[in-house]
Amino acid sequence: MIQQTSDKKWFDQLVMELRMRQVHGSAIGDTIASAKELLRDTGQPAEKMFGPARDYAKALELPSAPKHDWICQALWPSTLGLLAFLLFNQAVVPWTRSELLLVSPAQLAFLATPVVLIAFLPLYLDAIIRRIWLCVGLSGIGALSGVLSAVAAPQNRAEAWLAVDPLPWLIGSALVMVALSIRNTTQSALTTGHDDITDPSSATAKSTGTGIKVFVQITNWLFPLLALAMLGLALVLR
Amino acid sequence: MEVSTSSPQVAGSVDWPSDWLRATLGFLCLRALSAGPSYGYAIISELERHGFGTIKGGTLYPLLTRYETAGLVTTEWRAGDGGPGRKYFALTETGRTELTRLSADWLRFSGATTRYLDQPTMEGSS
Repeated sequence: MIQQTSDKKWFDQLVMELRMRQVHGSAIGDTIASAKELLRDTGQPAEKMFGPARDYAKALELPSAPKHDWICQALWPSTLGLLAFLLFNQAVVPWTRSELLLVSPAQLAFLATPVVLIAFLPLYLDAIIRRIWLCVGLSGIGALSGVLSAVAAPQNRAEAWLAVDPLPWLIGSALVMVALSIRNTTQSALTTGHDDITDPSSATAKSTGTGIKVFVQITNWLFPLLALAMLGLALVLR
Repeated sequence: MEVSTSSPQVAGSVDWPSDWLRATLGFLCLRALSAGPSYGYAIISELERHGFGTIKGGTLYPLLTRYETAGLVTTEWRAGDGGPGRKYFALTETGRTELTRLSADWLRFSGATTRYLDQPTMEGSS
């Protein structure tokens, strides 16, 4: 029982390490199946037979997708989506109150913090996946900067660095969010299942279930949905 | 090739220096495949039976993966008897040629080493 638990943990770590190395799902399935085959034959624990999962994943030197692929396909659209969402949030309240959008330098700096954190994610992604406290810390910084941006918002036009009509920003940011969501939906529909982990020893794939598909679609439309909620809240509270 | 149950042909101690095994394991694995396609545990058993100690999966599979990438071996999943299948490794023509070349080189190297070690030492000579 203990060995099964430790082996499961080892295999989970191996899958994570191979995913982080951008190894294709079919190659991961092959690696997992061949390792399980040897463990069945020898009856030894995975850690003893293959060493630490991280070292084994590195030693295999499996072909991987170029590291920049996910940055272009996922990271930049997400960063742009977040930027559009933050702009929308800044513009929505002044628009519902028929006021100008007032901006201060400190407010802009606080708003830029989560965008910068996400834009530089490739530099420290490995570290935050392996250290949960770092992930919690960075999420906390992002949330705190959001709160501080509200505190630093100018109260009147004299305090403001910029005073602009919120409507173009509202429409522009909404269009960007919707365009990115349509792009993500199309892309996920085209690529669903192509990188699933397939078990070659039984020729079955861990197919993408309905729950996962729904979750992916919600994620694709997360910013427009949240923006709609913010708009509704602003209209109710005005 | 299946796991042999015949009496072992142990070549002596299995506690070889790791450097020696690292240098030779590649063509020993190719040699283990020369009789026909085989799978992980059978290769490990074959090498153990011939006195090379127990090779870990963490050493064997990365080596075979590199050989597959280099075109020295091919792999194929075969259905198991009522259970999960097995991954079989087989030598390619390139792999067979490489085995022949490495075996010849090793024999020349080990011969030279043996001849040198067998030479009488000339203690006190300047």
